[in-house]
Amino acid sequence: MQANEFDGNAAFAGGGFMPSQATQTAPDRPSYSSKNSDARCLTPVTVKQLKDLSKVGESGISIDGVDVNNIVLVGVISKIDNAVSDCTFRVDDGTGWVECTKWIHEHVDSVEVDVISVGMYVRVYGQFKSIQSRRPITDFNEIAHHFLECIYVHLYNTKLRPRMTNATDGMTAQPQVANSNSGNHIMGFSHQTNSTNQFSNQYNTDEEQIRGISSMVLQYLRRPACLASEMGVSSDIVARELNVSVDKVRKTLDFLASEGLVYTTTDDHYKFTDA
Amino acid sequence: MDTSSPAAFVNGGLLRMHVGRKVRTVIQVTRSDAGSVMGKSTDGCQLVVRGSPPAPLTSYVEVIGVAENESSIRAELWTNFGDSFDASNYDQLCQLANGELKHLFL
Repeated sequence: MQANEFDGNAAFAGGGFMPSQATQTAPDRPSYSSKNSDARCLTPVTVKQLKDLSKVGESGISIDGVDVNNIVLVGVISKIDNAVSDCTFRVDDGTGWVECTKWIHEHVDSVEVDVISVGMYVRVYGQFKSIQSRRPITDFNEIAHHFLECIYVHLYNTKLRPRMTNATDGMTAQPQVANSNSGNHIMGFSHQTNSTNQFSNQYNTDEEQIRGISSMVLQYLRRPACLASEMGVSSDIVARELNVSVDKVRKTLDFLASEGLVYTTTDDHYKFTDA
Repeated sequence: MDTSSPAAFVNGGLLRMHVGRKVRTVIQVTRSDAGSVMGKSTDGCQLVVRGSPPAPLTSYVEVIGVAENESSIRAELWTNFGDSFDASNYDQLCQLANGELKHLFL
């Protein structure tokens, strides 16, 4: 993995969010069978996703093909019913609401429950049948972050996982996102996810030969914004975006042009071939 | 709060797509009067939010309510989001939630 790449998986990997962590590079993860590791993972969901599940009427709970047992929800408490042995509350995350139950076994549990009040934003962990813990939210960026995680996991499950199980060589194992210096990480996800798929299936042998800068340059040129531009991208911009010297980029682009992977439109402007 | 209908994540530009429907957005407060608050949406548009804001109001506030037109919302629920909030992050979320990933939300 190159130092400059933003590995979305690693960013969200903490706390077991990503399913089948066994196939990722984290060396200390034991390799369970995929069914086991899925069940151990915590999946961020929106209430709408949960509602869609129950409409279909599945008993084995799965979302986007991944077995889901433990979930995370973020939302506002809209109702609380406090009884002696349990506390039922309603969490509304803007996509719907769901009833959650917290069982009170010890004093610690009831203290937790006292802190929660109606109208407060909380993050809830639990199983689809019952809720284990929740805590109030103080940094509201968590809310946007939670939904972005839902989106990421959904895309990962629907787009990249099928590819991973079908791929025959190791190059496709990592859902890597190319260097995104612009700081626009999230846009980088949804676009790069798609282009990495096509890329890895068609150009595997090429990619094995082209190392380092070449693959970064290619990935950059395959971005939808670059593909869409008629004039292509100048080598200056590529160098700046990838944080590589202009000389190296020019040499790489010359090489790629000679391989037929990119072509020049006007002076010093390049486009990816076969967009 | 009417908990039965989902609220669409919007920014200034997306508000017009949901006029008459329940929306949620975060604005940076520029002015607040009794009865309405003017603020900047996460994509830089000026929005008016009518209703009774909580006092005190932090810099960023999330409002959930009904979109009256492409630049105004009648708020039902206000939540103070504090003074430090990543607006561009939220903006990207709005775009994604209204794009091909709409089915996860609405």
